[in-house]
Amino acid sequence: MRAALPFTVIGGYLGAGKTTLLNHLLANTAALRIAVLVNDFGSVNIDAELIRKHDGDTIELVNGCMCCSLVSGFAAAVGAIRRRAAEFDHLVIEASGVADPEKIAQYGQMYELPLEGIVVVVDAEQVRAQATNKYVGDTVIRQFEQADLFVLNKIDLVTADERRSLRAWLSGLAPGTPLIETTGSNVPIDVLLGAHQGRVPRSSTDHRAPDIHADLYKSWTIERVTPLSRDAVQRFAQGLGPDVYRAKGFVLLQGDTGTKYVFQQVGARWTLEPTAAWGAEPRRTRVVVIGRAGATSERALQALVDGRSANPVVSIVAEGAGDRRPPAG
Amino acid sequence: MAGDTDRRDFIKKSAGTALGAAVAANLPACASVGAVAPGKTAETIYKGGTIVTMDDKRRQVAAVAVADGRIIAAGDESEVMKTRGGTTKIVDLGTMTLMPSFIDSHGHFMNAPQIVRWANVSGPPVGPIAKIADFVPVLQEHVRKQGIKKGEWIIGFGYDRSNLAEGRELLASELDPAFPDNPVMLIHSSNHGAILNSAAFKAVGYDENTKTPPGGIINRVEGTNRPAGFIMETAFLPLFGDMPQPSERELLDTLDAAQQIYASAGVTTCSEGATHAKDLAFLRKAAAEGLLYLDVFSLPLILDVPAFIREYAPDFRGGAMELPNETPQAFGAYRNHLKLQGIKVALDGSPQGKTAFWTRPLLTGGPSGEANWRGQPLFPPETAFKALKEVYDKGVQVWCHCNGDAAIDMMIDGSRAAGVKAAQDRRTVIIHSQCMRPDQLDAYAELGFSPSFFTSHTFFWGEEHVANLGPERAAFISPMKSAIAKGLTCSNHTDFSVTPMDPMRVMSSACTRRSRGGRVIGPNERVDRWESLKALTVNAAWQLREEKDKGTIEVGKLADLVILDGNPLTVDEDRILGIKVLETLKGGKSVYRRTT
Repeated sequence: MRAALPFTVIGGYLGAGKTTLLNHLLANTAALRIAVLVNDFGSVNIDAELIRKHDGDTIELVNGCMCCSLVSGFAAAVGAIRRRAAEFDHLVIEASGVADPEKIAQYGQMYELPLEGIVVVVDAEQVRAQATNKYVGDTVIRQFEQADLFVLNKIDLVTADERRSLRAWLSGLAPGTPLIETTGSNVPIDVLLGAHQGRVPRSSTDHRAPDIHADLYKSWTIERVTPLSRDAVQRFAQGLGPDVYRAKGFVLLQGDTGTKYVFQQVGARWTLEPTAAWGAEPRRTRVVVIGRAGATSERALQALVDGRSANPVVSIVAEGAGDRRPPAG
Repeated sequence: MAGDTDRRDFIKKSAGTALGAAVAANLPACASVGAVAPGKTAETIYKGGTIVTMDDKRRQVAAVAVADGRIIAAGDESEVMKTRGGTTKIVDLGTMTLMPSFIDSHGHFMNAPQIVRWANVSGPPVGPIAKIADFVPVLQEHVRKQGIKKGEWIIGFGYDRSNLAEGRELLASELDPAFPDNPVMLIHSSNHGAILNSAAFKAVGYDENTKTPPGGIINRVEGTNRPAGFIMETAFLPLFGDMPQPSERELLDTLDAAQQIYASAGVTTCSEGATHAKDLAFLRKAAAEGLLYLDVFSLPLILDVPAFIREYAPDFRGGAMELPNETPQAFGAYRNHLKLQGIKVALDGSPQGKTAFWTRPLLTGGPSGEANWRGQPLFPPETAFKALKEVYDKGVQVWCHCNGDAAIDMMIDGSRAAGVKAAQDRRTVIIHSQCMRPDQLDAYAELGFSPSFFTSHTFFWGEEHVANLGPERAAFISPMKSAIAKGLTCSNHTDFSVTPMDPMRVMSSACTRRSRGGRVIGPNERVDRWESLKALTVNAAWQLREEKDKGTIEVGKLADLVILDGNPLTVDEDRILGIKVLETLKGGKSVYRRTT
């Protein structure tokens, strides 16, 4: 049995870098077949070198990915993608600059597609003006409130002081939402996409800025051969904290050890879904956690799974979580 | 003349392309003030009864003569009778009223081919359903009339619990005994939900194991998890997207019935006010096959512009929102009763759906219970302004949907930025112009905007508007009287099929502004009968740049006429809605005649 096509919504106001993020994603995911829905003003701005064939509202890409414009209606486009779900590993929906990404996510969920997360791209230079614009200010702030992960983009255009101040401002508007700082929407692919059918995407070698990530992001892995209870998974997911951007992997679940479960987490949103049988693979839990350097440690993660409460990360999470999030376990 | 050469060259070059096909060859004849066209013999002369011209200079005449589809004489009987020849037919109007037929300045013609295949399950005054027991006989009659076979879908529109005496949702189990083998879907009046019977649930794969998706509603049979009948929002929308679609031939075959919806209401110019690329392809085919006998003007949607360009100007290499230089030549003239009129832009949603865009919050929260909700624009202002400028710069007429005052502000700002001024005579139409502020009327005058109002909202949603907006803002919905006082040319529309194709309902609402509950919504904005009829005739013709052809009874104009059983200028106010259309003429030919 194949899991339904997981999807990610990319939101954020006009010019924040959503399409750049999309192109970055498409150019750096050779191992994955990605379907893209672009909900924008009648144009699909995909880098020309990626395009193999342009046919009506659909663009086929050289790497087997596909882009559709949503002008003929969201339901029709998502319906068409769902019918071809077997051809893709992941669906990315780029919301229009004034769309509520949560609403877009509901449209995907109504087709019973699992939502991996809502990524909201923020233009570090323009966002304060956008947030006070008489037409769209409230819409921009609503988008923040719906984010599972912020991409604070174009940080090269603001001072370090302004970056700090933006982070504080965003965390006041959307408490506990992890934030990743980028230039050119250069988010590590590992952060953007989750695990797919045993094919956790290989670590990307980003052709634009190969060295930047090593210093900023770190990944930790937790492995267990003894099955985990649902409580343990929940405790883990809820305890990761706002400096962790993404966690993903497979879980050996107590009470159903014959089935491989896929675990996905972006910000506070997480899912645990059955996929296939384990087959010849070793039965074990293996989850990768990606976050800001210093966000957590393997020891802290082990403690989380075991429910040992003396973990400093857990207490930080509980404090900064705000009322949108369930209390840490 | 260089201009003419260019035009011919363009037509020649683009022959066989749709852009070219949308260009008509002949220009309309000019209407003249004189009462009799020289040297013509009438085919028909109408006299006796009441003849309302809709011409401010001479509101009524005694007789009208028609030949070759146009009016050749209008005035005193003795004068008009001079056009009488040996074969001239004389029609004595008796107690009837003859006037220009109606123009629906904004609606969705492409809903008509769909609706004629569906059962009307609305409540009064739109449809026949007042209680649960009404559904089965109405649907059985529909099955009989449409010849729906066992196993085929039965679709109804206009379902709304608020119409039912019982005040509860219809249940699948109440449809099942009569329709065990036909899936039934009764679409909610909002188009966001439906009632399904058990055969329909089976057909779409909904059962007790179906989870309710986020943002959706699936009512369950009490004490079980089985779907009860009513589904809404995200539980409904994907089903609707997957419904079997009629073939193009089947849809073309409905066009007579579709046009009869208009003709039987006295309307001879129909609006296709939000045309997708595939709809235009369909309408062009309909026109080419000679299936249109009423005029249909189409407003291609700006969102579909890239699709139109790919199809009709495949060699054009421009940016995302750029238009080819030849674009304006595709607009503005009928060919086989189909005309491209302008480009449709929409900046917000609807007030009753709470998706319009206002400057001040609603008193009742947002569609999902959001606090401090003022809606939102459909596009970022930067995007909208750029698109508007491109359409303005190419000289194509803009028809812009704005319901809330913030959407109207955006349209005003975007048009000022594009250098728009009233003196340019662009006749930019602001569709709906519903929740206006008084100061915006001055901007309309400055920019030459012409509102196409939607006054029947005061009837259909009057109470909701008072609750959502408060009495003061609600009173200024579709402010026709104030707009006329500012010198604006106003039309008034049905937004068909959002409200029924019923010009008398539109007229009555402009004069009375009375809600379903009998409350007058904005008494100061009521207009007199004459103005309310101008909004359905001569003013609508002006918005279409067809004032030389349509909208009044004057010599030289098309004989687009309607015969009514009462005079809408003089009947008692509460009898306006009861006025019946006896005959409708398009270009002098009868396209509808009432049978008793």
